[in-house]
Amino acid sequence: MSPGLLVLSVLLVLLAALAVQQRQDTGPVVQRFVEQFAMLVPRMLVALIAAGFIAKLIPKEAIAGLLGEDAGLLALPVAVAAGLIVPAGPVIAFAIAAVFAKSGASVPALVAFVTSWSIFAAHRIFIYEVPLLGTSFLRMRLLSAMAVPFMAGVLAMLAGMITTFGQPLLTH
Amino acid sequence: MASFDFLKDPSWRKEVSSSALGKSFWGFGAAAVGFGILCWLIKGPDVVWAALSEDLSLVADLMPRVVVALSIAALIWVMMPRDRMSALVGKKSGMRGLIIATLAGAVTPGGPSSAYSLLAAVAVSGADRGALVAYITAWALLGLQRILIWDVPFMGAEFAMLRFAVCLPLPIIAGLIARRLPLTLRIKGDET
Repeated sequence: MSPGLLVLSVLLVLLAALAVQQRQDTGPVVQRFVEQFAMLVPRMLVALIAAGFIAKLIPKEAIAGLLGEDAGLLALPVAVAAGLIVPAGPVIAFAIAAVFAKSGASVPALVAFVTSWSIFAAHRIFIYEVPLLGTSFLRMRLLSAMAVPFMAGVLAMLAGMITTFGQPLLTH
Repeated sequence: MASFDFLKDPSWRKEVSSSALGKSFWGFGAAAVGFGILCWLIKGPDVVWAALSEDLSLVADLMPRVVVALSIAALIWVMMPRDRMSALVGKKSGMRGLIIATLAGAVTPGGPSSAYSLLAAVAVSGADRGALVAYITAWALLGLQRILIWDVPFMGAEFAMLRFAVCLPLPIIAGLIARRLPLTLRIKGDET
Protein backbone atom coordinates (compact mmCIF):
# COMPACT_ATOMS: atom_id res chain seq x y z
CA MET A 1 0.00 0.00 0.00
CA SER A 2 1.33 3.43 -0.92
CA PRO A 3 1.89 5.97 1.88
CA GLY A 4 -0.83 8.22 0.50
CA LEU A 5 -3.46 5.51 0.52
CA LEU A 6 -2.36 4.45 3.99
CA VAL A 7 -2.87 7.96 5.37
CA LEU A 8 -6.30 8.17 3.72
CA SER A 9 -7.32 4.77 5.07
CA VAL A 10 -6.35 5.68 8.62
CA LEU A 11 -8.33 8.92 8.24
CA LEU A 12 -11.35 6.97 6.98
CA VAL A 13 -11.24 4.54 9.93
CA LEU A 14 -11.05 7.45 12.39
CA LEU A 15 -13.97 9.28 10.76
CA ALA A 16 -16.05 6.10 10.60
CA ALA A 17 -15.41 5.49 14.29
CA LEU A 18 -16.48 9.06 15.03
CA ALA A 19 -19.63 8.61 12.95
CA VAL A 20 -20.54 5.41 14.81
CA GLN A 21 -19.94 7.15 18.11
CA GLN A 22 -22.21 10.03 17.09
CA ARG A 23 -24.83 7.51 15.90
CA GLN A 24 -24.91 9.07 12.43
CA ASP A 25 -27.50 7.81 9.98
CA THR A 26 -25.70 5.80 7.26
CA GLY A 27 -28.31 6.55 4.57
CA PRO A 28 -27.17 10.07 3.60
CA VAL A 29 -23.51 8.96 3.67
CA VAL A 30 -24.21 6.15 1.21
CA GLN A 31 -26.33 8.45 -0.94
CA ARG A 32 -23.61 11.10 -1.19
CA PHE A 33 -21.04 8.38 -1.94
CA VAL A 34 -23.10 6.85 -4.76
CA GLU A 35 -23.87 10.27 -6.29
CA GLN A 36 -20.23 11.38 -6.35
CA PHE A 37 -19.00 7.97 -7.48
CA ALA A 38 -21.39 8.01 -10.45
CA MET A 39 -20.35 11.54 -11.28
CA LEU A 40 -16.62 10.79 -11.24
CA VAL A 41 -15.72 7.24 -12.11
CA PRO A 42 -17.16 6.58 -15.60
CA ARG A 43 -15.77 9.80 -17.07
CA MET A 44 -12.54 9.30 -15.19
CA LEU A 45 -12.00 6.00 -17.02
CA VAL A 46 -12.47 7.40 -20.53
CA ALA A 47 -10.65 10.66 -19.72
CA LEU A 48 -7.65 8.72 -18.46
CA ILE A 49 -7.46 6.79 -21.72
CA ALA A 50 -7.60 10.02 -23.73
CA ALA A 51 -4.95 11.61 -21.46
CA GLY A 52 -2.67 8.60 -21.83
CA PHE A 53 -2.65 9.04 -25.62
CA ILE A 54 -2.16 12.82 -25.44
CA ALA A 55 0.83 12.37 -23.11
CA LYS A 56 2.42 10.12 -25.72
CA LEU A 57 1.85 12.72 -28.44
CA ILE A 58 3.46 15.70 -26.66
CA PRO A 59 6.78 16.64 -28.36
CA LYS A 60 8.86 16.70 -25.15
CA GLU A 61 12.28 17.21 -26.75
CA ALA A 62 11.12 20.08 -28.98
CA ILE A 63 9.65 21.91 -25.97
CA ALA A 64 12.76 21.29 -23.85
CA GLY A 65 14.84 23.21 -26.45
CA LEU A 66 12.86 26.38 -25.64
CA LEU A 67 13.37 26.23 -21.88
CA GLY A 68 17.12 26.80 -21.52
CA GLU A 69 18.88 29.70 -19.74
CA ASP A 70 19.36 31.58 -23.01
CA ALA A 71 15.61 31.65 -23.64
CA GLY A 72 15.33 34.07 -20.68
CA LEU A 73 11.85 35.41 -19.96
CA LEU A 74 10.43 33.68 -23.06
CA ALA A 75 10.97 30.34 -21.32
CA LEU A 76 8.24 31.18 -18.80
CA PRO A 77 5.23 31.33 -21.15
CA VAL A 78 6.49 28.20 -22.94
CA ALA A 79 6.85 26.36 -19.62
CA VAL A 80 3.41 27.50 -18.45
CA ALA A 81 1.84 26.37 -21.74
CA ALA A 82 3.62 23.01 -21.47
CA GLY A 83 2.19 22.57 -17.97
CA LEU A 84 -1.28 23.26 -19.35
CA ILE A 85 -1.15 20.52 -21.97
CA VAL A 86 0.08 17.69 -19.75
CA PRO A 87 -3.25 16.02 -19.00
CA ALA A 88 -1.92 13.41 -16.62
CA GLY A 89 -1.00 12.72 -13.02
CA PRO A 90 2.33 13.20 -11.25
CA VAL A 91 3.99 10.10 -12.72
CA ILE A 92 3.93 11.51 -16.24
CA ALA A 93 4.25 15.18 -15.31
CA PHE A 94 7.39 14.67 -13.24
CA ALA A 95 8.87 12.29 -15.80
CA ILE A 96 8.44 15.09 -18.36
CA ALA A 97 9.95 17.61 -15.93
CA ALA A 98 12.95 15.30 -15.57
CA VAL A 99 13.30 15.17 -19.38
CA PHE A 100 13.20 19.00 -19.46
CA ALA A 101 15.80 19.23 -16.68
CA LYS A 102 18.10 16.80 -18.46
CA SER A 103 17.85 18.78 -21.70
CA GLY A 104 19.06 21.90 -19.91
CA ALA A 105 15.88 23.71 -18.88
CA SER A 106 16.52 26.58 -16.46
CA VAL A 107 15.35 26.40 -12.84
CA PRO A 108 12.73 29.18 -13.22
CA ALA A 109 11.33 27.41 -16.29
CA LEU A 110 11.07 24.15 -14.35
CA VAL A 111 9.40 25.92 -11.43
CA ALA A 112 6.92 27.54 -13.84
CA PHE A 113 6.24 24.18 -15.53
CA VAL A 114 5.61 22.22 -12.32
CA THR A 115 3.52 25.09 -10.89
CA SER A 116 1.45 25.47 -14.05
CA TRP A 117 0.81 21.73 -14.22
CA SER A 118 -0.08 21.68 -10.51
CA ILE A 119 -2.70 24.38 -10.90
CA PHE A 120 -4.11 23.74 -14.36
CA ALA A 121 -3.63 20.02 -15.10
CA ALA A 122 -6.37 19.53 -17.66
CA HIS A 123 -7.36 16.01 -16.61
CA ARG A 124 -8.10 17.21 -13.06
CA ILE A 125 -10.29 20.01 -14.36
CA PHE A 126 -12.35 17.69 -16.55
CA ILE A 127 -12.44 14.68 -14.24
CA TYR A 128 -13.01 16.36 -10.87
CA GLU A 129 -13.53 20.10 -10.96
CA VAL A 130 -16.28 20.49 -13.56
CA PRO A 131 -18.39 17.51 -12.41
CA LEU A 132 -18.11 18.34 -8.68
CA LEU A 133 -18.12 22.16 -8.64
CA GLY A 134 -19.29 23.31 -12.05
CA THR A 135 -18.00 25.67 -14.72
CA SER A 136 -18.79 28.84 -12.77
CA PHE A 137 -16.28 27.85 -10.09
CA LEU A 138 -13.76 26.78 -12.74
CA ARG A 139 -13.92 30.16 -14.46
CA MET A 140 -13.42 32.01 -11.20
CA ARG A 141 -10.50 29.81 -10.16
CA LEU A 142 -8.73 30.06 -13.53
CA LEU A 143 -9.03 33.86 -13.55
CA SER A 144 -7.74 34.05 -9.96
CA ALA A 145 -4.80 31.69 -10.46
CA MET A 146 -3.83 32.58 -14.04
CA ALA A 147 -0.86 34.71 -12.98
CA VAL A 148 0.39 32.30 -10.31
CA PRO A 149 2.79 30.15 -12.43
CA PHE A 150 4.32 33.32 -13.90
CA MET A 151 4.79 34.77 -10.42
CA ALA A 152 6.42 31.52 -9.30
CA GLY A 153 8.77 31.59 -12.31
CA VAL A 154 9.70 35.24 -11.79
CA LEU A 155 10.30 34.71 -8.06
CA ALA A 156 12.52 31.73 -8.89
CA MET A 157 14.38 33.93 -11.37
CA LEU A 158 14.93 36.59 -8.71
CA ALA A 159 16.11 33.92 -6.28
CA GLY A 160 18.51 32.70 -8.98
CA MET A 161 20.16 36.13 -9.03
CA ILE A 162 21.30 35.83 -5.44
CA THR A 163 21.88 32.09 -5.04
CA THR A 164 22.39 28.93 -7.08
CA PHE A 165 20.29 26.96 -4.57
CA GLY A 166 17.56 24.85 -6.16
CA GLN A 167 19.33 23.02 -8.98
CA PRO A 168 17.40 19.90 -9.95
CA LEU A 169 18.93 16.47 -9.51
CA LEU A 170 19.81 14.86 -12.83
CA THR A 171 19.92 11.25 -11.74
CA HIS A 172 16.81 10.05 -13.51
CA MET B 1 -34.44 1.19 7.07
CA ALA B 2 -36.17 4.43 6.17
CA SER B 3 -32.98 6.34 5.42
CA PHE B 4 -32.25 4.15 2.38
CA ASP B 5 -35.46 5.14 0.60
CA PHE B 6 -33.51 7.19 -1.93
CA LEU B 7 -32.34 3.92 -3.52
CA LYS B 8 -35.91 3.19 -4.62
CA ASP B 9 -36.63 6.70 -5.83
CA PRO B 10 -36.82 6.54 -9.64
CA SER B 11 -36.01 10.22 -10.15
CA TRP B 12 -32.89 9.88 -7.99
CA ARG B 13 -31.81 6.82 -9.95
CA LYS B 14 -32.35 8.60 -13.23
CA GLU B 15 -30.34 11.59 -12.04
CA VAL B 16 -27.44 9.38 -10.93
CA SER B 17 -27.30 7.41 -14.16
CA SER B 18 -27.51 10.54 -16.29
CA SER B 19 -24.69 12.14 -14.32
CA ALA B 20 -22.68 8.94 -14.80
CA LEU B 21 -23.20 8.60 -18.54
CA GLY B 22 -23.84 12.20 -19.50
CA LYS B 23 -22.56 14.36 -22.31
CA SER B 24 -19.02 14.68 -20.99
CA PHE B 25 -18.66 10.91 -20.67
CA TRP B 26 -19.35 10.49 -24.38
CA GLY B 27 -17.20 13.54 -25.15
CA PHE B 28 -14.22 12.00 -23.38
CA GLY B 29 -14.96 8.66 -25.00
CA ALA B 30 -14.81 10.29 -28.43
CA ALA B 31 -11.59 12.12 -27.47
CA ALA B 32 -10.06 8.83 -26.32
CA VAL B 33 -10.88 7.16 -29.63
CA GLY B 34 -9.70 10.18 -31.65
CA PHE B 35 -6.36 10.58 -29.86
CA GLY B 36 -5.91 6.80 -29.92
CA ILE B 37 -6.21 6.81 -33.71
CA LEU B 38 -3.87 9.81 -33.95
CA CYS B 39 -1.37 8.03 -31.70
CA TRP B 40 -1.63 4.88 -33.84
CA LEU B 41 -0.99 6.86 -37.02
CA ILE B 42 1.87 9.00 -35.69
CA LYS B 43 3.60 6.74 -33.19
CA GLY B 44 2.50 3.28 -34.27
CA PRO B 45 0.50 0.46 -32.65
CA ASP B 46 3.19 -0.40 -30.06
CA VAL B 47 2.83 3.02 -28.43
CA VAL B 48 -0.96 2.65 -28.39
CA TRP B 49 -0.72 -0.69 -26.55
CA ALA B 50 1.89 0.74 -24.18
CA ALA B 51 -0.42 3.69 -23.38
CA LEU B 52 -3.37 1.38 -22.76
CA SER B 53 -1.44 -0.91 -20.45
CA GLU B 54 -0.16 2.13 -18.51
CA ASP B 55 -3.78 3.34 -18.24
CA LEU B 56 -4.80 -0.03 -16.87
CA SER B 57 -2.21 -0.04 -14.10
CA LEU B 58 -3.07 3.60 -13.34
CA VAL B 59 -6.75 2.71 -12.94
CA ALA B 60 -5.91 -0.26 -10.73
CA ASP B 61 -3.85 2.12 -8.62
CA LEU B 62 -6.52 4.85 -8.59
CA MET B 63 -9.69 2.94 -7.80
CA PRO B 64 -8.92 2.09 -4.15
CA ARG B 65 -7.89 5.73 -3.59
CA VAL B 66 -11.07 7.03 -5.15
CA VAL B 67 -13.25 4.74 -3.07
CA VAL B 68 -11.49 5.68 0.18
CA ALA B 69 -11.41 9.39 -0.68
CA LEU B 70 -15.10 9.53 -1.60
CA SER B 71 -16.02 7.65 1.59
CA ILE B 72 -14.11 10.22 3.63
CA ALA B 73 -15.75 13.07 1.74
CA ALA B 74 -19.23 11.55 2.21
CA LEU B 75 -18.67 11.16 5.96
CA ILE B 76 -17.37 14.72 6.25
CA TRP B 77 -20.28 15.96 4.13
CA VAL B 78 -22.73 14.51 6.66
CA MET B 79 -20.88 15.29 9.86
CA MET B 80 -19.34 18.67 9.03
CA PRO B 81 -20.27 21.39 11.52
CA ARG B 82 -21.43 23.82 8.85
CA ASP B 83 -21.95 26.80 11.12
CA ARG B 84 -18.44 26.52 12.50
CA MET B 85 -16.98 26.06 9.00
CA SER B 86 -18.42 29.32 7.79
CA ALA B 87 -17.08 31.14 10.84
CA LEU B 88 -13.61 29.79 9.99
CA VAL B 89 -13.56 30.36 6.24
CA GLY B 90 -16.82 32.24 5.63
CA LYS B 91 -17.49 35.55 3.91
CA LYS B 92 -16.27 37.58 6.88
CA SER B 93 -13.18 35.51 7.63
CA GLY B 94 -10.77 38.04 6.09
CA MET B 95 -7.06 37.32 5.88
CA ARG B 96 -7.30 34.70 8.62
CA GLY B 97 -9.69 32.66 6.47
CA LEU B 98 -7.23 32.69 3.58
CA ILE B 99 -4.37 31.57 5.82
CA ILE B 100 -6.45 28.77 7.36
CA ALA B 101 -7.53 27.63 3.90
CA THR B 102 -3.92 27.66 2.69
CA LEU B 103 -2.75 25.57 5.65
CA ALA B 104 -5.63 23.14 5.19
CA GLY B 105 -4.76 22.75 1.50
CA ALA B 106 -1.11 22.06 2.27
CA VAL B 107 -1.89 19.27 4.73
CA THR B 108 -4.83 17.63 2.90
CA PRO B 109 -3.62 14.08 2.17
CA GLY B 110 -4.41 12.23 -1.03
CA GLY B 111 -4.87 13.21 -4.64
CA PRO B 112 -7.51 15.25 -6.46
CA SER B 113 -10.30 12.83 -5.55
CA SER B 114 -10.04 13.74 -1.87
CA ALA B 115 -9.20 17.43 -2.30
CA TYR B 116 -11.97 18.18 -4.81
CA SER B 117 -14.69 16.23 -3.02
CA LEU B 118 -13.80 18.04 0.19
CA LEU B 119 -13.84 21.35 -1.67
CA ALA B 120 -17.29 20.55 -3.06
CA ALA B 121 -18.58 19.84 0.44
CA VAL B 122 -17.17 23.07 1.88
CA ALA B 123 -18.23 25.17 -1.11
CA VAL B 124 -21.94 24.59 -0.53
CA SER B 125 -21.73 25.36 3.18
CA GLY B 126 -21.13 29.07 2.83
CA ALA B 127 -17.35 29.26 2.49
CA ASP B 128 -15.91 32.42 1.03
CA ARG B 129 -14.76 32.22 -2.61
CA GLY B 130 -11.29 33.48 -1.75
CA ALA B 131 -10.88 30.72 0.80
CA LEU B 132 -12.04 28.10 -1.73
CA VAL B 133 -9.50 29.27 -4.31
CA ALA B 134 -6.74 29.57 -1.70
CA TYR B 135 -7.50 26.04 -0.47
CA ILE B 136 -7.34 24.29 -3.83
CA THR B 137 -4.36 26.37 -5.00
CA ALA B 138 -2.49 25.53 -1.81
CA TRP B 139 -3.32 21.86 -2.21
CA ALA B 140 -1.99 21.95 -5.78
CA LEU B 141 1.14 23.99 -5.06
CA LEU B 142 2.11 23.23 -1.48
CA GLY B 143 0.59 19.77 -0.83
CA LEU B 144 3.17 18.30 1.51
CA GLN B 145 2.39 14.72 0.63
CA ARG B 146 2.82 15.40 -3.09
CA ILE B 147 6.10 17.26 -2.52
CA LEU B 148 7.54 14.42 -0.45
CA ILE B 149 6.44 11.66 -2.84
CA TRP B 150 7.02 13.39 -6.19
CA ASP B 151 9.02 16.63 -6.09
CA VAL B 152 11.79 15.36 -3.84
CA PRO B 153 12.58 12.03 -5.54
CA PHE B 154 12.23 13.33 -9.10
CA MET B 155 13.71 16.80 -8.87
CA GLY B 156 15.79 16.70 -5.71
CA ALA B 157 15.26 18.24 -2.26
CA GLU B 158 16.84 21.59 -3.17
CA PHE B 159 14.53 22.16 -6.12
CA ALA B 160 11.53 21.08 -4.04
CA MET B 161 12.44 23.56 -1.29
CA LEU B 162 12.96 26.38 -3.77
CA ARG B 163 9.64 25.70 -5.44
CA PHE B 164 7.89 25.49 -2.07
CA ALA B 165 9.43 28.78 -0.98
CA VAL B 166 8.48 30.74 -4.09
CA CYS B 167 4.96 29.27 -4.08
CA LEU B 168 4.28 29.92 -0.39
CA PRO B 169 2.53 33.34 -0.78
CA LEU B 170 0.74 32.50 -4.04
CA PRO B 171 -2.43 30.74 -2.75
CA ILE B 172 -3.21 33.79 -0.62
CA ILE B 173 -2.66 36.11 -3.60
CA ALA B 174 -4.96 33.92 -5.73
CA GLY B 175 -7.56 34.05 -2.94
CA LEU B 176 -7.35 37.85 -2.76
CA ILE B 177 -7.80 38.06 -6.55
CA ALA B 178 -10.80 35.72 -6.35
CA ARG B 179 -12.47 38.03 -3.81
CA ARG B 180 -12.09 41.00 -6.15
CA LEU B 181 -13.29 39.35 -9.37
CA PRO B 182 -16.60 40.79 -10.54
CA LEU B 183 -18.21 37.38 -11.09
CA THR B 184 -21.22 35.70 -9.59
CA LEU B 185 -20.31 32.26 -8.40
CA ARG B 186 -22.76 29.41 -8.73
CA ILE B 187 -21.63 26.13 -7.19
CA LYS B 188 -23.00 22.90 -8.57
CA GLY B 189 -25.41 21.22 -6.17
CA ASP B 190 -26.01 24.39 -4.17
CA GLU B 191 -29.77 24.68 -3.86
CA THR B 192 -29.86 28.01 -2.08
